[in-house]
Amino acid sequence: MLNIKDLHASIGEKEILKGINLQVKPGEIHAIMGPNGSGKSTLSSVLAGRDTYTVTSGEIEFEGKNILELSPEERSIAGIFLGFQYPIEIPGVTNVNFMRTAVNEHRKAKGLEPLNAAAFLKIMREKMEVVEMNPSFSSRGVNVGFSGGEKKRNEIFQMAMLEPKLAILDETDSGLDVDALRIVATGVNKLKRPDNATIVITHYQRLLDYIVPDIVHILYNGQIIKTAGKELALEVEKRGYDWLING
Amino acid sequence: MTENNYIYAPSEHPADKFRCKVPMKGTRQLFVIDGGVQGTAAPLSIKFDEGNCSDEILQVIGVRTSSGPKELSSESSFSFGQNSQGRLILCSHTFAEDPFITKEKIKISLAPNSSVDIVLMQNEHNDAEHISEFEIDIQRDASLRMVFLTLHGGKISNNIKVNLNGENASCDLNGLYIVDGKQQVRNLVSMNHKDPHCYSSQLFKGILDDASVASFSGLIHVWPDAQKTQAYQENHNLLLTKEAKVYSEPQLEIYADDVKCSHGATNGRLDENELFYLRSRGIPKKEAQLLQQQAFAYAVLDKISSEELKERMVSLTEQRLRGEFSKCKNCCKNCC
Ligand SMILES: Nc1ncnc2c1ncn2[C@@H]1O[C@H](COP(=O)(O)OP(=O)(O)O)[C@@H](O)[C@H]1O
Ligand SMILES: [Mg+2]
Repeated sequence: MLNIKDLHASIGEKEILKGINLQVKPGEIHAIMGPNGSGKSTLSSVLAGRDTYTVTSGEIEFEGKNILELSPEERSIAGIFLGFQYPIEIPGVTNVNFMRTAVNEHRKAKGLEPLNAAAFLKIMREKMEVVEMNPSFSSRGVNVGFSGGEKKRNEIFQMAMLEPKLAILDETDSGLDVDALRIVATGVNKLKRPDNATIVITHYQRLLDYIVPDIVHILYNGQIIKTAGKELALEVEKRGYDWLING
Repeated sequence: MTENNYIYAPSEHPADKFRCKVPMKGTRQLFVIDGGVQGTAAPLSIKFDEGNCSDEILQVIGVRTSSGPKELSSESSFSFGQNSQGRLILCSHTFAEDPFITKEKIKISLAPNSSVDIVLMQNEHNDAEHISEFEIDIQRDASLRMVFLTLHGGKISNNIKVNLNGENASCDLNGLYIVDGKQQVRNLVSMNHKDPHCYSSQLFKGILDDASVASFSGLIHVWPDAQKTQAYQENHNLLLTKEAKVYSEPQLEIYADDVKCSHGATNGRLDENELFYLRSRGIPKKEAQLLQQQAFAYAVLDKISSEELKERMVSLTEQRLRGEFSKCKNCCKNCC
């Protein structure tokens, strides 16, 4: 599904990703762990098409096609979803208007008619239930005045609305209390299907008790320095990153 | 409204077959053509009787036609009696592509304890220059809310002078201006607090594209006796290009010591983080930018108290921002 080959990316003169190789197959859950500043958020932004980063070499193939030239909206339509580490507040744009516009763009790309207001609201309510979100949030400005946990739930709600093939969840667990963590993780698990894949970025083992990864990668200084099964997360939890970095 | 110094024109302007469909049920329309009330050519003077609280909205549609002079000066007045409530929609349009210059004086006076709501829609063509001077007098316990929507026009200037003459008078002034090409718009507000316990607020927001120019100059003048004044002012501008220019000039002259006053101004561009967030959900760049602009404009549109009129204005604003404008879909006649 996703095939990243020797990806280098920089911001200005500064190289941040220094040769990433990663393959994700349908149905898989990957975890990417690593200390702060390793490049985890950079990798997810680059995958989503943020143009503040320049890809200097390497390839990203998604379902067999090179996506480096695609705009963020085209990547979304292709089925890539990024759950933001820091979701953006957009005063004046309501959640409902935001999602209706997005869902209808996805439908348009599939040759489907836009959903009418009633049909849309019905789906929206169903999906809000997945993350136990109060329906009153739909008429509020996107993420405006939402608590940290509510913002992260809103990310998973958007993921539920857009039904991506590949979801990249950037520290969706950070800043969550145990309840919110359970709700978010349950949401992610409910949305799991044999034909979609998830990349969970985290630096705590905690989330991986709920969302069990098939493969764990350690990203450090712009490179993946170790890849193993889910036991690697436990080991990192016990021993930290030093043995990997220095070893 | 029992004064008989004006007439209601038929809701269709016969010469041009113009039929405005902006207003809703319960709206009466009156045409002022080239400065004179249709049918009489007399200047417009409207009086709401004491205690008049009808729900009716009066829409005054001012139009310029090619039969009028190139340069025109006109006057009109609106007075609201004690304890009355009034709602007005004031529109100005041009029905021909001539290079018009319109100079208007508009007197608005609110007697004690009256309450008035006015929405102004300025929609003229690119060769039209329109200079409006508003003289607004608000007496004790009276309140006025005004929303200026400057949607289109070559050179539009609103000179708004408000006197708060009497305790507890209140004035809520709001403006949205959308300019592109070489359009120019100027809002000049002078808010005079002459008596204690009065309230005023000014919220003006502008979206500037291409090489357009906008200026806002807002004076809050608090006289020595006007203790317990509350006066607020905000001006925010969204610049879509490097060529667009904005001049924002707040002025505070405060001669009383127990007052609450504030002002703020920002000139910004579309936020890149918001844009990426919207696009990452599949919304194309142009649509995402449109959403951002609509969001920016909404705070002003939200001040329109009639929900139905608000909806119309929200959709007109969207069309304007999409560049579909110069023609409002609700008219059978090109507005500008
Ligand atoms: N916009 C930016 N400008 C400059 N440096 C940046 C920017 N974004 C990220 N970086 C740098 O790139 C490195 C990786 O950051 P990031 O991808 O956020 O790491 P992580 O998500 O693993 O904590 C850090 O050294 C960070 O300071
Ligand atoms: Mg990060």
